[in-house]
Amino acid sequence: MKKNFIFIALAALILPALLRGLWFYRGVVQRPAFSTPDYESFSAPAAPFNPAPLNAEDVKQYNGVVLLDMIHGNQFSLTEIESLSGAIKQRNGQVELSSDSTMLEYQLKYASAFISISPSLMYTVDEVRILKNFADRGGRLLVFTDATRYSLYFDYVSGNPLTYGDVNAANPLLAPFGISINNDYLYNLQKNEGNFRNVYFDEFAKSELTFGLKEVALYGTHSVESPSGLILLRGTESTLSSANDANDPAQGGAAISADGNVIAFGDFTFLSSPYESYADNAALIGNLADFALSGKQKITLNNFPFLYSTKTVQVYLSSDLSKTAEMVAALGRLQAALQSMNVTVEFVDSVPTNGDAIILGLFTPNEDLAPSFNKFDLTLEDGSEFITVPGFGDIGVYGNSVLLFNATNKGNQLILLSSSIEDTILLVDTLNSGYLTGCLLQDSMAVCSSGYGGSLYEGDTIATDEASSEATPEPEVVVTPQG
Amino acid sequence: MSATELKWENIRTSLLWIVLPLIVGILIAASVPQPVIGVIHLNDAIYSYTAQDMITQIHYAMEHPEVRAVVLAFDSPGGTVVDTEAVYLELTRLREMKPVVTAVNGMAASGAYYLSVNTDYIYAKPTSLVGNIGVIGYLPPAPFIIEDIISTGPYKLWGAPRDSDMRQIEMVKQGFFEAVTLGREGRLNAGPETIFTGQIWAGTEAVHLGIADEIGTETDAIEKAASLAKVANYEATDLYQLSVYGSGSAYPFFIQSPDGLMMPYPNEAGTYLLYIPPLPVK
Repeated sequence: MKKNFIFIALAALILPALLRGLWFYRGVVQRPAFSTPDYESFSAPAAPFNPAPLNAEDVKQYNGVVLLDMIHGNQFSLTEIESLSGAIKQRNGQVELSSDSTMLEYQLKYASAFISISPSLMYTVDEVRILKNFADRGGRLLVFTDATRYSLYFDYVSGNPLTYGDVNAANPLLAPFGISINNDYLYNLQKNEGNFRNVYFDEFAKSELTFGLKEVALYGTHSVESPSGLILLRGTESTLSSANDANDPAQGGAAISADGNVIAFGDFTFLSSPYESYADNAALIGNLADFALSGKQKITLNNFPFLYSTKTVQVYLSSDLSKTAEMVAALGRLQAALQSMNVTVEFVDSVPTNGDAIILGLFTPNEDLAPSFNKFDLTLEDGSEFITVPGFGDIGVYGNSVLLFNATNKGNQLILLSSSIEDTILLVDTLNSGYLTGCLLQDSMAVCSSGYGGSLYEGDTIATDEASSEATPEPEVVVTPQG
Repeated sequence: MSATELKWENIRTSLLWIVLPLIVGILIAASVPQPVIGVIHLNDAIYSYTAQDMITQIHYAMEHPEVRAVVLAFDSPGGTVVDTEAVYLELTRLREMKPVVTAVNGMAASGAYYLSVNTDYIYAKPTSLVGNIGVIGYLPPAPFIIEDIISTGPYKLWGAPRDSDMRQIEMVKQGFFEAVTLGREGRLNAGPETIFTGQIWAGTEAVHLGIADEIGTETDAIEKAASLAKVANYEATDLYQLSVYGSGSAYPFFIQSPDGLMMPYPNEAGTYLLYIPPLPVK
């Protein structure tokens, strides 16, 4: 009996706790161990350091001038492109700033390349034409944009920011060459240089620009395409465009035009420190410097006064031109003008056959000069009031002069023919001005109005009694300013 | 023994053997605690103060056996890397003891999602914002010297070279990605090429992708936590009230404009697991 009471008492003691426990708790939970990331195993990706070799023995030497666009609100500082400007200087090239749009055409006459980096201001129609002509003549045009450079504007009403990328200014310049740069950026989540927006390129078009490259890295690059040209740098299939998060094999980090004179890059950060020494970027920058300096314009009279391929010009006066005091003074001014262009003048007493030369003569047939201007098919007749110049027809000899330009492997010859010493002096002074103002220009020939007509020089070398008895002839050619 | 005496004897016996033990049993039963589902709210960025608050609440949950499970209720864009990692590691210890469930209220982005993946189940509302997996950092300026500030090394003033800072961020990313891979193992319906783009998704899409488990509310999360903890008739309690209330004050994590407008950018430069809403760029 007592035993039963003990059981009842125990039950009464336990039951409330049991019931309460069962009311709240329906089982026992066993928790597993959970893994966390193995933080100690992580490491920052190493920089692919691969600097340019210090020995400059293999570096080819040039004498070119590279123009750097500073006219179009270019969004860069000179320190950012020191690697490229250094590579150009290492090759005996010279970097010259183009900071005055009115001087652009003049500067391009002697430049081997024009470099535009991240422009923010549009190129005018005239500038596009000038640069197109430059590239068509063999000059090199290098356009760099960058996906991290843009102008920010704010909507006047909403205050919302608006971006204006450099591709807006670069594309109209590149359009005539069949290249376009997209307003996007390329990225690669799988294989990249330290960050998804730093893209490796390991497929290269065959070009002097890609010579010796195995892998280059661009840092925030627009995609570039050129249906008529070549994609120079192509990424892997996992390289995607931010525009559509897709890969397009027709796009890459850089392209070259079909004629091989124009290149466009979607990035220029790879030129800046420290990225210029990563992957094969240093080799690429060397190739870019070679490309810029190896541009050889076809020199024509359009390049005046930069017509010479060496630093010395021989000047020869034909035997029928007297070295009068006025002539000597004019030649002195010519010498000074050429010296200001770092060109030394050497006066010679026989017709130069090698090297750069300026030859001055009269319209009268001259055996010495004949070999020099025979190739121009001029018709010179002693005593005639006209000479026949191919492309210009009959030109009155009085007050007109003819410039002939012959560019050969042996040197560039500029031949000046006039009807009198006075006209020759006036023509030399036109040359000294640096502009062929008052001349009709063709590639290798120009007709210049350089005097006042035959009546003023009656009795001089060409004028005959018959000619002097007539009224002063009007110049045959209407003078137009050089554009 | 008279009938009356017998009656009293029975009453005494009942009192002695039944009622008294029952009263004692009831008193003992009262010491069996009602299970608590602790709720930790994070309605701010993750930075030193909020992280410390969270850790205090996590410790409370670990130290109090009546707290049988925990619900993390997020409306947070994430925050600093180190504070997020601190909470993440403490959360792992809690999770090994008790179930933890996430309820995404407004947003569990970046660092907040980093914490979410270290829980047993993730609920999101149909348009809660979830994801934004990745790291964001502000690179220091290229080093230069200042006449009136003397330091003992080129990076004493600037912290690190810009390039090395970029690479450090990539290393931080590895930790985040592995945390997601471990936490959502077997549940992700999309590959890393989708998950790790840094995209932020609405709750519905997040469930489709497997970065969240189910559409649900904070109440659903509490019920799920209770279910995982195998408890019923529980009490859901905000652990902040029990553990942190009145313990400190926060400083403004985000930039505040002079007219009081809160900007989505942190006050200090640094590396963050933070979602910054896009500018209305046209």
